[in-house]
Amino acid sequence: MTVVGVSAVRLHPRSAAALALSGAVGLLAFCWPLLVRHDSAVAHSTDAPWLFVLLLILILGVVLAEIAEGGMDAKAIALLGVLAAIGAALRPLGAGAAGLEPVWFLFVLSGRVLGRGFGFALGALTLFASALLTAGVGPWLPFQMFAAAWVGFGAGCLPGRVRGRWEVVVLAAYGAAASLLYGLLLDLSFWPFTVSGTGAPSTLAFVPGAPLADNVGRFVAFHLTTSLGFDVPRAVFTALLVTLTARPVLLTLRRAARRAAFDSPAEFAPVERQLSISLD
Amino acid sequence: MHPVPRHLHPGAWWLWAVGLATAASRTTNPVLLLLIAAVAGYMVAARRTNSPSSRAYVVFLRLGLVVIAIRVVLAGLFGAALPGHTLLTLPQVALPDWAPGVRIGGPITLESVAAAGYQGLRLAVMLCCIGAANALASPARLLRCVPGALYEVGVAVVVAMTFAPQVIATVSRVRAARRLRGRPNRGLRGIRGVAMPVLEGALERSLEVAASMDSRGYGRSGGLPQSTRWLTAAATLAGLLGVAAGSYGLLDSGTPGLLGLPAVALGVLLATAGLALGSRRTARTRYRPDRWLPPELLVVACGMAIAATFIAIGGTAALQPSVSPLQAPGLPLLASAGLLAALLPSWLSPSVPGLQR
Repeated sequence: MTVVGVSAVRLHPRSAAALALSGAVGLLAFCWPLLVRHDSAVAHSTDAPWLFVLLLILILGVVLAEIAEGGMDAKAIALLGVLAAIGAALRPLGAGAAGLEPVWFLFVLSGRVLGRGFGFALGALTLFASALLTAGVGPWLPFQMFAAAWVGFGAGCLPGRVRGRWEVVVLAAYGAAASLLYGLLLDLSFWPFTVSGTGAPSTLAFVPGAPLADNVGRFVAFHLTTSLGFDVPRAVFTALLVTLTARPVLLTLRRAARRAAFDSPAEFAPVERQLSISLD
Repeated sequence: MHPVPRHLHPGAWWLWAVGLATAASRTTNPVLLLLIAAVAGYMVAARRTNSPSSRAYVVFLRLGLVVIAIRVVLAGLFGAALPGHTLLTLPQVALPDWAPGVRIGGPITLESVAAAGYQGLRLAVMLCCIGAANALASPARLLRCVPGALYEVGVAVVVAMTFAPQVIATVSRVRAARRLRGRPNRGLRGIRGVAMPVLEGALERSLEVAASMDSRGYGRSGGLPQSTRWLTAAATLAGLLGVAAGSYGLLDSGTPGLLGLPAVALGVLLATAGLALGSRRTARTRYRPDRWLPPELLVVACGMAIAATFIAIGGTAALQPSVSPLQAPGLPLLASAGLLAALLPSWLSPSVPGLQR
């Protein structure tokens, strides 16, 4: 019986606390259009979405610095870089076609094998590297990085006891659910930009400060009309890709993880005397 | 002014572009918005580099056109029409009770199309400004400016960016090898036969990279005194807590006012201090670092100037032309002067080296 996975990037209590707090801020940054009260300070300013973009950039930087501090050695860095490169190379393949996002299976499988900390860093860095390579740095990038990071993190949290065929089923189901949720959250982050300032309120647009149920109804309508056509094919595609590739890719990643020997720290021991005698 | 050709600090271009985007966010006047897009485009034409990323402006421009189209179509199909000149009337669909206020079809007026078009244009022009930043600031240089606390992560991104083109080269090599052996390159089996060797090779390569990084001292961090580490942790966590509590306070009007923007500002300050303290653990020097010299500061000042101009005169009718009743947008003098100031960097900044014009 082989090991399920290793933690290539170790999470200390400190980085775990930072992760939890950043998750809270991230959730607010995504869901603020639903939570904002009518008479609060940000309800009627068009700057509110941009404020959360800036906050999310800072939070991502802080959390990645916390994770890297003492938890990332050269092997983890190299593995992160190489897997992020594969993701960044895969990503343009799906551009244009509706719902074809070929990077998701990489986050899911790598997070599963290399641990939640690694999955978090991989999700964020893949999207960052891909944006730098394609010169696509924009206000959507922090949201994408954040959501993808949590997808990788979640893959590392799946129960370790599930093995064999069931493992593939669990991973495929997780991949589909995660990509649906990712689509929902990204849509939510874009939604406030449809706010109608001077014009009449569109029945799909975000109305700042409207009651929660009202805005949820509007958002559901917006999501159904604009992006569900992308999200459902993407979820199916991800699940299919995970099912097809899980066996060989998991095997390869586990072999690489074992060869990298993340869990056994390098030690410097004095050279034994026998060696020097035999060399005489 | 003819300074020696050199690359400007990427941060300067980003701040300039953010200033321009801030100005765009303050107006829905289509004349001003188109002028802002023109300023961004002129700067890209004057100061872009030879790298492939310099095509970003055109890509973002197309994306902006898509945004305008989406806004107009959504407003036409689902929006309540503003009173005015009816362009055409679509058949209306009745919806069930659980979707209150949702309306599909109905009359489309010139006024609502104009309102949606103005707002779409504003977003599109802001995208243009960001595209200009992407085209002007080279990503590799941007990556060199990450703070020391993000050193490991920065190295990983550098590895990724160097390695991504190699992955594509490896794919074509594996395909060629399979073709020579008479194996299929198409179909499910073909894809798998290509993908697995590429993945295996990449992971193999990563261990080699790690070994060579280890032997050269990459990915190592210098020891910090325990007290500094504790201070970093305390500042970072308190900062995150402040941001979390503050952003909740911003949304909920029931909380005391101190929990809103002041808490966010304090949290941002503490988190930044944590990053700065954490940067001390990597005691590294940079080879020919980008510096903040007078041209950089001038470029940033120009960006800030236009943002300040638009914020100062924001909210006036000149910046927010009326759509109902529909009126021709004017050309406010002060805002146009601010736009000319934003154009100054094309003379003030040093030209890009290695380009024949």
